[in-house]
Order: sequence, then C-alpha cells, then structure tokens
Amino acid sequence: MTMDFISDDQREALQEVANIGMGQAGASIAQVLGEFVELSVPQIRAVDAAEIPAALVALAGDGIASAVRQAFLGELRGEAIVIFSEHSAHDLAELMSYGDALDAPASRELLLDISNVLVGACLGGIAELLRAEIGFSAPSLLADQVSTHQLLQAEAIAARCALLVEVRFGLERRVFRCHLIILMAEDAVAALQRALDRFIEEL
Amino acid sequence: MSLSVLVVDDSAMARKMLIRALPPAWDITITQAANGVEALSHYRQGGVDVIFLDLTMPEMDGYQVLETLRHEDLNCLVIVVSADIQAAAQARVRAMGAIAFLKKPVDPVEVRAVLKEYGLVL
Repeated sequence: MTMDFISDDQREALQEVANIGMGQAGASIAQVLGEFVELSVPQIRAVDAAEIPAALVALAGDGIASAVRQAFLGELRGEAIVIFSEHSAHDLAELMSYGDALDAPASRELLLDISNVLVGACLGGIAELLRAEIGFSAPSLLADQVSTHQLLQAEAIAARCALLVEVRFGLERRVFRCHLIILMAEDAVAALQRALDRFIEEL
Repeated sequence: MSLSVLVVDDSAMARKMLIRALPPAWDITITQAANGVEALSHYRQGGVDVIFLDLTMPEMDGYQVLETLRHEDLNCLVIVVSADIQAAAQARVRAMGAIAFLKKPVDPVEVRAVLKEYGLVL
C-alpha cells in the first residue's frame, strides 16, 4: 500500500479542515472542563489494515489506555476512535467534580460523554467545511483500561487499508491526554476525495 | 501608499484561504512565511505593517513570535488567525500584544471589520 492514495493537494486541504475541526473540538471540551486545551498539528497518513493496531500503539505509546468508538455516516463514512491515556478518566472525574464518587460505570460514562463532544465537534466541523451531511452512531466503549497493544485487533477492521487522521488533545497542569483518530476505508476515501476537490476548487 | 502585509501559516492552503478573505481593493504587498522563524526574519528586514499570524506551527509557533516581538520594538499590527478558538487562547494572544483574533476559516466580513476598526481600510 503506497502512501499516495490521496494527492498532495487533497492531503493539504484535509490537514487544514482537520485543523479547524480539531480547534472546534478543543474549544468544546475546554468549555466543558473549564481548562485550557493544548492542541497538536493533525497528522494524516494512509495505512494498511494490518498496520492499524501498531499505528495506534505508536500514537498512544506503550501503556494502558481506554478507547471509545463512534461511527459517522452519510456522505462521509468512517469511524472515529478516541484513545484516552491511563489516568485520563480520573482527571476528568476531578475536573467534573465527581470526586471519589467515581465508580467504574460512571467513569465509562464520562469517557463516552467526552468522546461524543470531541467527535461531534471535530467531525461536525470537518463535514461542515466540506459541505457534507453526516450523522453519528452512539459512542461505545471499545477498550477499557487495556494495554495499548490490545486496543484494536486487526481482525476487527473490515477495510483493506485506511486513511488515518490523528489529532491530540492535552490539558495544561494535568496528565489527561487523548487522541482522536479518524479511520476511513478505501471506498469511503473516494467520497472524501470528491469533497476535498470541491473544497479546493472553491478556494 | 501600499501597506506591507506578512501572512504566516505552515499550511500553504491556509495562507491561500486567508489571502482570499482579504478585501480585494486593499492596496497591499503580500509576503508569506511558513513558520515563526521565517516570519521574524522577514519582520527584521523592516517595513512590515501588518502580520496575520497562525498559532500552531512547527519550528516556532505564534505564541513564541508574539513573545519575541514584544521584546523587540513591536511597530506593526499583529492579527492572530487560528483554528484554536478557545476563549483562553484569544485572551492570551491579546495580552501578548495582538490587536485582534480571527477564527479559521476566516470570514471576509470579520477581516474587513477588524481592518476598518484600525483604520487600515476605508
């Protein structure tokens, strides 16, 4: 699988719309958490399905993490996966004033809620810029405090290859870290390319 | 007299999007830079009137550029253009000397309003 199933122009346009989507997502969770959110430059690459689990380890690092998965449907189709570093749920609980009352179900609920806000704002922002209609499935817990090597199994990925868009969020003065990853299968990438071409033409 | 405008963003596409949003009749000469280091090198050559500055960039980011300009003689107007639209980010850059904050994607109406407020366009 070569890296260039999207053109340089398309990649650059995607980078910029992902950047804007990430900014909107960052502002949304900053508002929910009352903390300043540190953003990174979005990273985009094409990967073979078999490489996705390893790519996630490379992004999230060795260690324990939880992950939430949410599908987006419509003109653009794919999956968003939010990976939370080990102590992120605890940090979120403190910020949301759950205190010690945070049991396992409440902790999972918190991750689902934050994922929902991030994915809705980020993908919603991207879709709006590309003038594509999309909807979202309910978020579900993909992995709960497991080794990053076990976050996602290659068999669980239907596509032969995927476009991986990664954005990273962190909080100042906190250990909270999460990554939002957008996976789009080959056939869905064709629709994305058309939307990007339209966006570029209208610039 | 034509104003000298410096557009700083690591994305060529983002620079293009911003330049398209500037008033068409504005009499300016545009220079572009892809990061903070390039931006400061242009600025130090002198003559830059207005800088449109992105925040998230490799090499040297927008905050570092503002910090550096503050310690040198800041005699140009800096307008921050960013996808990071947190209220705290806006407050930070204003405290660091930026005259305005424009969110991406840049709206031509908002650009004109800022430029008008500072007497840069009629």
